[in-house]
Amino acid sequence: MKKSLATSTTVHVVLLSWGLLSLSGPERLDAGIMETLPVDIVPISELTQIQQGERTAPMAETAAPEPVETDAPEPDAQNIGNNTVDLDSPPTPEARPETVEEAAAPAPTPEPVPQPELVPEPEPEPEPVEPAEAPPPPEPEAPEPEPEQEVAALPEPAEAEAPDAEPLPDAPEATAPAEPEVAALPENIPTPMSRPEPPRPQVAEQPEPAERPQETPPQQPQQAPQETTERESEFDADQIAALLNQQAPSGGGQRQVDNQQAALGGQQTTGGESLSQSELDALRGQIQRCWNVVPGMADATDVRIRVGMRLAPDGTIQGQPSVSASGGSDMAQRTLSGSALRAVLRCAPYSLPAEKYETWSEVVVNFDPSQMF
Amino acid sequence: MEQVGLAATSDVTLWSLFMEAGLVVKLVMVGLVAASIWTWAIIVDKTMSFGRVRRRLDNFEEIFWSGQSLEELYRTLSEQKTTGMGAIFVAAMREWKKSFERGARTPIGLQQRIEKAMDVTLARESEELESRLGSLATIGSAAPFIGLFGTVVGIMTSFQAIAGSQSTNLAVVAPGIAEALLATAIGLLAAIPAVIGYNKLSGDANKITARMEAFADEFSAILSRQIDEKLQPRQAAE
Repeated sequence: MKKSLATSTTVHVVLLSWGLLSLSGPERLDAGIMETLPVDIVPISELTQIQQGERTAPMAETAAPEPVETDAPEPDAQNIGNNTVDLDSPPTPEARPETVEEAAAPAPTPEPVPQPELVPEPEPEPEPVEPAEAPPPPEPEAPEPEPEQEVAALPEPAEAEAPDAEPLPDAPEATAPAEPEVAALPENIPTPMSRPEPPRPQVAEQPEPAERPQETPPQQPQQAPQETTERESEFDADQIAALLNQQAPSGGGQRQVDNQQAALGGQQTTGGESLSQSELDALRGQIQRCWNVVPGMADATDVRIRVGMRLAPDGTIQGQPSVSASGGSDMAQRTLSGSALRAVLRCAPYSLPAEKYETWSEVVVNFDPSQMF
Repeated sequence: MEQVGLAATSDVTLWSLFMEAGLVVKLVMVGLVAASIWTWAIIVDKTMSFGRVRRRLDNFEEIFWSGQSLEELYRTLSEQKTTGMGAIFVAAMREWKKSFERGARTPIGLQQRIEKAMDVTLARESEELESRLGSLATIGSAAPFIGLFGTVVGIMTSFQAIAGSQSTNLAVVAPGIAEALLATAIGLLAAIPAVIGYNKLSGDANKITARMEAFADEFSAILSRQIDEKLQPRQAAE
């Protein structure tokens, strides 16, 4: 046993020493010099969701609120308007001031004045008749004083004014301020309104003298209300006018370019309304799972099938999908279009984001069997 | 500088691997190498001794079946140290002689005594044959686990070192793992010959033992016939 142990030990020592010394490390693997390829992950949403803007605009935290349309900017436009061309048509004449003043003018003050006018107004009508009737007037002269005296109790001032008016033309300036005041008194009395009718025949007695004084007083009261409205409107209208655009509107002119800074973006807004790539892939995968292609069919790789379908908001198919096939033999076309139609129908309802329904309300699926074999 | 560093780390000879290993891994490796030495020592020793035993068996059988007188054979063999079949033969003959010299009464008792003596000798001989084969079996089954233990410890420490260096470069990771794997390699190196040697040697030992048992049975039958022949005339004379 000792002998064999000695032999074993010596053999081990020899083998180990030979292995440790002569067996150097294995040859280094010649991996060569490899350049690392930089790999970037590019989210495709950058391409599918672009906001319209300027390519050269600097990046900003917030986008410009409205993309600027730069289709035909003409900074030289002289006239303001909403046209695409700078027309030199004159501003439309204003008819508005009248309406504005009517709206702003307080109604109460002018009303009282015309009332005295109303009394004489009916008079001009009878005037043309009266001159014809003028010869007969002597007959009713007697009755006239009777009604006058009867009614005279109240309307006396009015009648008194009428005679007063006759002398007015002599000194109108002095009496003018007093007249509105006097005129205001009869306002409170409703009776004059009904009275004018009966006096017509009565006044007919003095046709001509009555006309003249009547004409003059209306002019004066009309001027008075105008002055009052102007004074009152000075408070409001002027301040509002200062705020209003003083430029007169015209049919011509051009919409002026905004001077707002442009936003960074692409040629047009493609927006987030389109389905993202992952959503398209999900739809594609869903349909592909349902699609069973009959294997080993001749000419099947040349067939292209196009299935158009209308989807409801809940993902179900509305109506019958339209199928059209091209390429390959008729047999393959018929078979594959049938299988494609079955696949589309079997996969419904489709799970697509509801907020983008407008983008996938109509879906066209292109089937390419060559990728299935 | 970087190339110098790479050259230093790429020196992965067996010796550098062993020297860079930790204490536990080193102990495991040394123990496994010792086990390997012991395994091969046993294999060499057993192979040689089995060859010797087989040769002696052949010689003894040749002499035994040559027609030589059993008395003469016993006289020559009892003077020298015998192994194997010779020992069995000597033990049986010694018992036979003793029984007859003292005047054996019953043939059955004599037969039993002779068989007992042969069984004891056979057991002693087979034990001698199968000695140290158990350690081969132990090494064959345990060495891979010991090597695996060294590997696990080595990989553990090397991973700790990697965590400390904060670099996952393969050049940093590789040497530690290679050195740890060396322990498993040595374990397998010791275990594979041990398993093969154990199977081979135990098979040989069984064959030799079976051969000796066959001889013992045969010799027992011969002696039984001799007992009948020698005791019946004596009984008849009485």
